[in-house]
Amino acid sequence: MPAVQVAKLIDTTLCIGCKACEVACQEWNDQEFTLGTFGGTYQTMPQLEHNFWNLIKFNERETDAGMSWLMAKYQCMHCADAGCMSACPAPGAINRLDNGTVDFNHDNCIGCGYCITGCPFDVPRLSPTTKKVYKCSLCSDRTAVGLEPACIKTCPTSCLTFGSREELVRKADARAETLKSDGHKDAGVYNPVGVGGTNVIYVLKHASAPEEYGLPKDPTVPWTVSLWKGPLKWLGTLALAGGVLGTFFHYVRFGPLHEEKEEAGDEKQ
Amino acid sequence: MKNSSQQLIPRFNAVERAIHWAVAITFVYATLSGLSLWSRKLYWIAGVLGGGVTVRAMHPLISVLFVLAFGRLFLKWRREMVLDADDRTWLRYSYKYALKDDAGLPEVGKYNGGQKMQFWAQAALAVVLLCSGTVLWFPEYMPRTLRLAAVLIHPAAALAAMGGIIVHVYMGTAAVPGSLKAMIRGVVTRRWAAAHHPKWLRNLPQP
Repeated sequence: MPAVQVAKLIDTTLCIGCKACEVACQEWNDQEFTLGTFGGTYQTMPQLEHNFWNLIKFNERETDAGMSWLMAKYQCMHCADAGCMSACPAPGAINRLDNGTVDFNHDNCIGCGYCITGCPFDVPRLSPTTKKVYKCSLCSDRTAVGLEPACIKTCPTSCLTFGSREELVRKADARAETLKSDGHKDAGVYNPVGVGGTNVIYVLKHASAPEEYGLPKDPTVPWTVSLWKGPLKWLGTLALAGGVLGTFFHYVRFGPLHEEKEEAGDEKQ
Repeated sequence: MKNSSQQLIPRFNAVERAIHWAVAITFVYATLSGLSLWSRKLYWIAGVLGGGVTVRAMHPLISVLFVLAFGRLFLKWRREMVLDADDRTWLRYSYKYALKDDAGLPEVGKYNGGQKMQFWAQAALAVVLLCSGTVLWFPEYMPRTLRLAAVLIHPAAALAAMGGIIVHVYMGTAAVPGSLKAMIRGVVTRRWAAAHHPKWLRNLPQP
């Protein structure tokens, strides 16, 4: 029986922007907080950092009734079709755990940064000190022993829930239906199919405009990455092997070039 | 002895040979280390070269040495490598040369059209590899669009360069006996020069 696929459900309608998840993430993962750029908003820093894996984006939306927050916790999405894994050259550096988690193993990471290019969500970050790449591990060290991730554990409003992916997708759909019946016609679930679905799913009030939450609309593994790690790799490897074999068989068929002329050169003397 | 077919004629001086081999050695390292990061099935090469972290650090550095060495060779040879009308004709019928049916081909000077094209192609590819490689070297400072282009351009250019070098090594060793000596000891026999580069031999200053 395949292991249960886990997921994190983020119901953005329940987020109050308390940032407890940010603190819990820093604490559990023993990250030192380094003061980043202050962007003049409530947001802790403009984007994720190598030592800051969980960021609530405080997106501002103008409405007729004034400004409203579209708060969305941002972190690794643990994609089913993970661009970072496609791009990574080092075996064992990025591992797919049985429960669906995309987990970095820093012993095997070589710091090339290809995963940064492969990621459609702009999540992995290179550490300037260790020269290795970091991101949310879905607290794989907690989930391995049956605990929920630190951010989930600490969330005071049940905005964050953790559990079987199948169940949470059902729960998310039901929540979106409730929101619709409450008058939020555009409510829906963010679980982008372009990357095969994600193990972090969102309930959004404005599901047709995920970019307003700082989430990419229709993310996919970049086509240059797919081409690079797909057809180009196989065709290129075949072409190289063909070149080596081609010269070998050229020699077998024709032998050294110009032997006759060498004789002719002799006669000229 | 002076005009005997075995008389040795200088073809490359010591400086040219030294730079050529600096180019060759750095190219081989760049190729092997590059291949190790090209496919996970070739990652074992990284183990041979000291591990993935070492390869990730050294590949760009050694490659910069390659570009510097090649740049020196480029400055030295660029005038000799300009194609003339005979070279263009030779190139048009170079398939006949490969098929050993080259009776009607124009006489070849110090380098044939293929060698000259190899030179210009490798020079162009070195520039492409340097630019795309710099983008991959420092991903954290590079815009995403450039990185997405570089992951395709860098390996594609590297494949083209490797393809050229496969032919180059074959021509310089098995296919044309006597060539390797020109790049190791710097000399060729009169017979070799008459067979492969008659126009060059004829125009050499007489001692």
